[in-house]
Amino acid sequence: MIMHEGDVFEGNYVADNMTYESFIKAFNDRNPLHTSLEFAKSKGFDKIVLHGNILNGFLSNFIGEILPIKDVMIISQSIDFHNPFHLNDEIYLKAKLVNLSNAVKTAEFKFVFRNQHSFKLAKGTIIIKLIE
Amino acid sequence: MNIDVVLKSFNEIFCDVLDDEDIVLTKTTNANDIEDWDSLSHIQLVLAIEKQFDIRFTALEIEEYSNVGEMCEGVLNKKS
Repeated sequence: MIMHEGDVFEGNYVADNMTYESFIKAFNDRNPLHTSLEFAKSKGFDKIVLHGNILNGFLSNFIGEILPIKDVMIISQSIDFHNPFHLNDEIYLKAKLVNLSNAVKTAEFKFVFRNQHSFKLAKGTIIIKLIE
Repeated sequence: MNIDVVLKSFNEIFCDVLDDEDIVLTKTTNANDIEDWDSLSHIQLVLAIEKQFDIRFTALEIEEYSNVGEMCEGVLNKKS
């Protein structure tokens, strides 16, 4: 097994315009919180708030590209959003392998996303199945 | 700890994982008896049981258990 309990994995992302535009184009969520600066300001935000589920895209990158093994599939995922993020924020993902089950061939990760100011954006859990 | 205590704990885990408060496990209950006990929920159940009792099963053990009672016995053996 390449991975071990306690292993920590990291990813660095930017919530850039391409990601933002692609997300809107793909999923057609044009809620004004995500598209209208005036609306976002009326709700107390300085900038447009990006879709929280963009972070789930980064998690997909983490599982599919950063992990050292490719024969995996996600079977469970949960995420709690703590703070909003905005266009061109730098986003840092830290994921720790907390449980490697030999019985059912799964790996469980606890993850946290932070922005360039170290504010916690989201945290959660992912369980992947190691495909034989 | 005896098998009835383990079975009661299993029942709580199954209700929680399968989101069904009406589940009543017996020692002979197996996956054929519970509609939502599929391959994915099986993984979730095993992980929840390992976490609850702070034990680790092997893949072979999981494969050989044919019903809930045998799995409860497996827990007892690991905790003894």
